[in-house]
Amino acid sequence: MKTPKRSDEPIWWALFSAGGVCFAVLLPALMLVLGILWPLGLVSPPWLSYAGVSALLHTAYGVPALLVTAAVICLPLFHAAHRIHHGLHDLQCGYRQASKLLCYGLALLLSLLALALVLAI
Amino acid sequence: MTEYQLRIQRYDPEQDDTPRLQRYTVSGDHTTSVLDALLSLQQQQDPTLALRWSCRMAICGSCGVMVNGIPKLGCKTFLRDYNGVIDIAPLAHFAVEKDLIVDMTPFLAHLSAIQPYLINDKDDKAPHKQTPAQLAKYQQFSNCINCGLCYAACPQFGLNPEFLGPAAITLAQRYNLDSRDNGKASRMSQLNGNNGAWGCTFVGSCSEVCPKQLDPAAAVNQAKVESAKDFIINLFKI
Ligand code: FES
Repeated sequence: MKTPKRSDEPIWWALFSAGGVCFAVLLPALMLVLGILWPLGLVSPPWLSYAGVSALLHTAYGVPALLVTAAVICLPLFHAAHRIHHGLHDLQCGYRQASKLLCYGLALLLSLLALALVLAI
Repeated sequence: MTEYQLRIQRYDPEQDDTPRLQRYTVSGDHTTSVLDALLSLQQQQDPTLALRWSCRMAICGSCGVMVNGIPKLGCKTFLRDYNGVIDIAPLAHFAVEKDLIVDMTPFLAHLSAIQPYLINDKDDKAPHKQTPAQLAKYQQFSNCINCGLCYAACPQFGLNPEFLGPAAITLAQRYNLDSRDNGKASRMSQLNGNNGAWGCTFVGSCSEVCPKQLDPAAAVNQAKVESAKDFIINLFKI
């Protein structure tokens, strides 16, 4: 019996799992507060102002802000990319390598963009 | 006695170009299983109908068929639970040899690929004792009857027949978790590939159709965790 080549899937699966946890735990609350309650004027916490947010971004050299961005944007992006990649496989569209490059590539690009924007502020 | 309508997929590769559906009427009561119905058909109406069976009590795992599109053991599925015409077809994702008989060779090859036996290079004659806690680790996964229903249910095996599949991965876990075994390293090489544990996308239909409630999907997910650990450990090996 020949030994099959080791899959690189553990990397993507780990990012997918971590992203799934962040997605499930953090995003519903964030969406409720930032997407619904705040725009409707039902809550208006003082830190949700330009000065407040910018102060938060610069706390402790911006490290917490980067961590939050990773948890709220980057990891969920990889989670979504993994789902789309496997969804394409299920629908039998796209070649394995091409859809992989496209999905995870896009997640990486958008993640770097998000982190760069946080750093740039 | 009630009359039941069956529509059975018939196919004889030596004579037919394509499979065809044939209607039959059988009478049965509330105890009549799909297998009983098929056997009475074969004995009383149509001796050319080919099917596989042996124990009639959900042990041998040979009577798997698709009933209304869902993989089922014929002997554990009862006509009373169905209304209207009942569709019976050979197990999906396998090549048909004749009528309801499929070629299980690829399935058996996958099972043997993961070395489904105790591997222990310690050459002592003493009995290998096991505590109830050690037994509990793998016992759930040791009840597989090799019926192949999970392969007929698994869309990934349908897309890629090279995928080791639910039963084989469950069996690998069954031996990897056994305290008397130390063959995990050689099984991991099969599980680590794209056609090993990573061929699964956690659809979960294997666990839904398993007639022994083994939960193969859970075993496959455990195998993924093991394979991910193995991946990380391997990074630090030179
Ligand atoms: S005949 Fe043995 S499992 Fe059904």
